[in-house]
Amino acid sequence: MKINGNYTLNVTPAVFWEMVMDPNVLEKVTPGIKELKEEGPDKYEAISQVRVGPVKGNFNGNLVIKDKVPHESCTLEIDQKSKMGNVIAEIVMKMVPLEDDKTDIQYTGEAKMSGTLASMGQRIMSGVVSTLSKQFFKSMEEEIEKRDKN
Amino acid sequence: MGNFIGKSVKRREDARFLKGAGKYTDDIKLPKMAHAAFVRSPYAHAKILSVKTEEAEKADGVVAVFTAKDGCGEFGVPCGWQVDFKNGETMREPKHPLLAKDKIKHLGEAVAIVIAETLEQARDAVELVEVDYEELPSVTDPKKAMEEGAPLVHDEWENNAAFDWCIGNDRAEVEAALEKAHHVTEMEYRNQRLAPNAMEPRSYIADYDVNGDKWTLYTSTQNPHLIRLLLCAFALGIPEHKVRVVSRDVGGGFGSKIYHYTEEALLTWASKEIGRPIKWTSDRSEAFLTDAHGRDHVVKSKMGFDKDGKIVAHLTDEYCGMGAYLSTFAPAVPTYLHGTLFQGVYTTPLIHLNVTAPFTHTVPVDAYRGAGRPEATYLLERIISKGAQEMGMDPAEIRFKNFIPPFDGVEEEGYQTQVALQYDSGNYEKALKRGLEMLGYEDFRKEQEKARKKGKLLGVGISTYIEGCGIAPSAVVGALGARAGLYEVGQVRVQPTGKVSVFTGAHSHGQGHETVFAQFVADKLGIPMDDVEIEHGDTEQVAFGMGTYGSRSLAVGGSAIIKSIDKILEKGAKIAAHKLEAAEEDLEYLDGKWTVKGTDKSISFGDVSLTAYVPHDYPEGLEPGLDFSSFYDPSNFTYPFGTHIAVVEVDADTGAVELQRFIAVDDVGNVMNPMIVDGQIQGGVAQGVGQALLEEVVYDEGGQMITGSYMDYAMPRADDLPMIETDRTTTPCPHNPLGVKGAGEAGAIGSTPAVVNAVVDALAHLGVTDIQMPLKPQTVWRAMQN
Repeated sequence: MKINGNYTLNVTPAVFWEMVMDPNVLEKVTPGIKELKEEGPDKYEAISQVRVGPVKGNFNGNLVIKDKVPHESCTLEIDQKSKMGNVIAEIVMKMVPLEDDKTDIQYTGEAKMSGTLASMGQRIMSGVVSTLSKQFFKSMEEEIEKRDKN
Repeated sequence: MGNFIGKSVKRREDARFLKGAGKYTDDIKLPKMAHAAFVRSPYAHAKILSVKTEEAEKADGVVAVFTAKDGCGEFGVPCGWQVDFKNGETMREPKHPLLAKDKIKHLGEAVAIVIAETLEQARDAVELVEVDYEELPSVTDPKKAMEEGAPLVHDEWENNAAFDWCIGNDRAEVEAALEKAHHVTEMEYRNQRLAPNAMEPRSYIADYDVNGDKWTLYTSTQNPHLIRLLLCAFALGIPEHKVRVVSRDVGGGFGSKIYHYTEEALLTWASKEIGRPIKWTSDRSEAFLTDAHGRDHVVKSKMGFDKDGKIVAHLTDEYCGMGAYLSTFAPAVPTYLHGTLFQGVYTTPLIHLNVTAPFTHTVPVDAYRGAGRPEATYLLERIISKGAQEMGMDPAEIRFKNFIPPFDGVEEEGYQTQVALQYDSGNYEKALKRGLEMLGYEDFRKEQEKARKKGKLLGVGISTYIEGCGIAPSAVVGALGARAGLYEVGQVRVQPTGKVSVFTGAHSHGQGHETVFAQFVADKLGIPMDDVEIEHGDTEQVAFGMGTYGSRSLAVGGSAIIKSIDKILEKGAKIAAHKLEAAEEDLEYLDGKWTVKGTDKSISFGDVSLTAYVPHDYPEGLEPGLDFSSFYDPSNFTYPFGTHIAVVEVDADTGAVELQRFIAVDDVGNVMNPMIVDGQIQGGVAQGVGQALLEEVVYDEGGQMITGSYMDYAMPRADDLPMIETDRTTTPCPHNPLGVKGAGEAGAIGSTPAVVNAVVDALAHLGVTDIQMPLKPQTVWRAMQN
């Protein structure tokens, strides 16, 4: 399944970068995340619970951030296992600076699913991914607002 | 006689079904019964690195967890048909293990069985079994499976071929005739993979009884004796006389419940291990993943015509997917149940079919309603219509030109085809004429023309099918690779009071045998239907049997019963002659009594029955009792045929297809119960329409099934179908005592190409000559745009 989209945030690429690289922020903004344990540099163990239409499940697995070009781009490698199937995804995230200290986050990648997730969820998955992505950026916005207030 | 045969007697079994009183396997609850759930692979192809069961074993209510390491099923489940390679190499037959040990070969393959006090506990504990896999590349498409470098399903062989096979005339001769043909029509398409979707999912209860060291397996199968044989002699190696297989009410099979499945054998094994009965019932998602699928042919075909539209030659190459293992009948489906029907109803002088049957990383493929014959019919009926379209001929006219002339198989000999079979009797023109008359063909063409001018897309599709039912005789199918006989057993036990118990080896899973069999038994014996009980589906009641598939029940099973009735009447006549003090040859049997011809001296069936069991005044030397069992091995297949006509309207804006009329004129030989035959035809048509318009199992590139629920696998619904207009012609089968041919599959065989032909006809003026099934609106719309 192809994943792509974009979202404009009210921060500069540098600020966004700093936030994304902070596991505490990631843990707060990523939908469904229950726990994010730092396992090594840019490597996390993630435990999450996601409800996807007719199927819901507990996931755990790895999240790796690689190909880092600070303030410009990075690649997320996600490998999550669950009883309803596994997800492997690789997403390239680009941060394009806009006027007024804004940043357009552009992401593109591919996800592979197996098991019940694939047989039951594939059809609705792209919708789910887009919902989850929106949630991620909305939460990010909230974090930015909180941060601005402080 | 003749009170019941040919009458639409209401189905006796429906009283219990309508009241919810049917007894399906899942309705059975045994004392101390445990429940099973399976750990299944989320990958199509993977190495199993480790299986950890400790957590699951400790979970609430768990009785046992077994994996391949526990020694279950050293032999695996067997395949029942052997088709060797053309070069003589033996068919490649991989072991089909009850649980995967080192490697996963298809999505949903079981790795472990969890047995617990309740189903919920078993399912919860399944989540606690940890399996570590290493996913490997997979191949699910039969043609791609044969490409250089395709991932191997079984490492022990250098490629994925299970076997290859051909039938018909010499290939070079067929090719030469195609070279010289006036016109050659070509087709390349996929006969898509279908999921069987019986309303009742598969369900098994295995019950080991330490008292006597015996097993009982309650199973939703179409052939209990065959399951017992395969289970005992192959899968588990346990003594056949210690195993009872019970299969009473079964909610649909369509072929998918013929086969011996791994779960049946595994439960039987595990029941002895834990010393308790165990139940497993598939849920719908498991059914999509693990019931044997149907079809899956990739086809490339050429048909040559002369300038008058007469077929001169037909050449086809196919890749027919077997799935990861060879299911019970799988090798027979694209070969002896498929290639042997390539003559169709036409006089084609030269035919050649070449089949390559590869393994793929998918659930096994096997017979599904029609089994090989819908695939043959689809090809023939599409390509002849396409040929007519390309040559500017009428699709009815081209068929009339090519039909085999009528023959009754009695006065005129049976028709010898180019592909081994000899047809029994047929009158193909008559069925088409009747179909065209019911439609009002000429008027329809005028209406279609007018509609087109208004932008309305109407189309008509014709299919003139033939099929082979009641596969037989045993010696022939044995020579073709069957590892079983294909006879049937029928026992008629007259009780002392004249009531009759009939035990049949045929199996009813919706067919209505309890009604139809009782109709002809009552008529032949001249007694009320209420005095006849039909028993099936229990190996301890029924002596033996081969079950029900291939529309064989009445033609083969019914004939076995008739043989026993003949023996009953013959012995009864001896008793009657003794009682009436007359010579046997002076007696006639009519309306349930033996009468001395020309007198009013008679004795009833009931009195003779009683005498047989209370033999005080009895013929000397004659054994008491009135109970006969017979094996009937037919001399040939039967060949039902007919004409199906579909009328469709295609929405010019969206490509949506509306089936407006469906006409089915079927010749199934003599008819015992017209209502039941109509019902069979209607149900079959619905399934055939399902394939044409809606149904398809899709695996993605990673081997994941993306049509694993009714959200993505579209089944036909009532509002997809018009009222199906049925009629019949009757050409009796000349070689069985009832003159019947079989009606179980005809609907599914004839209908699919009729619908596709109709859609192509509706779009013919746009230059459309072919569309790939299923004809989803987007597929049709795209065809219209090109």
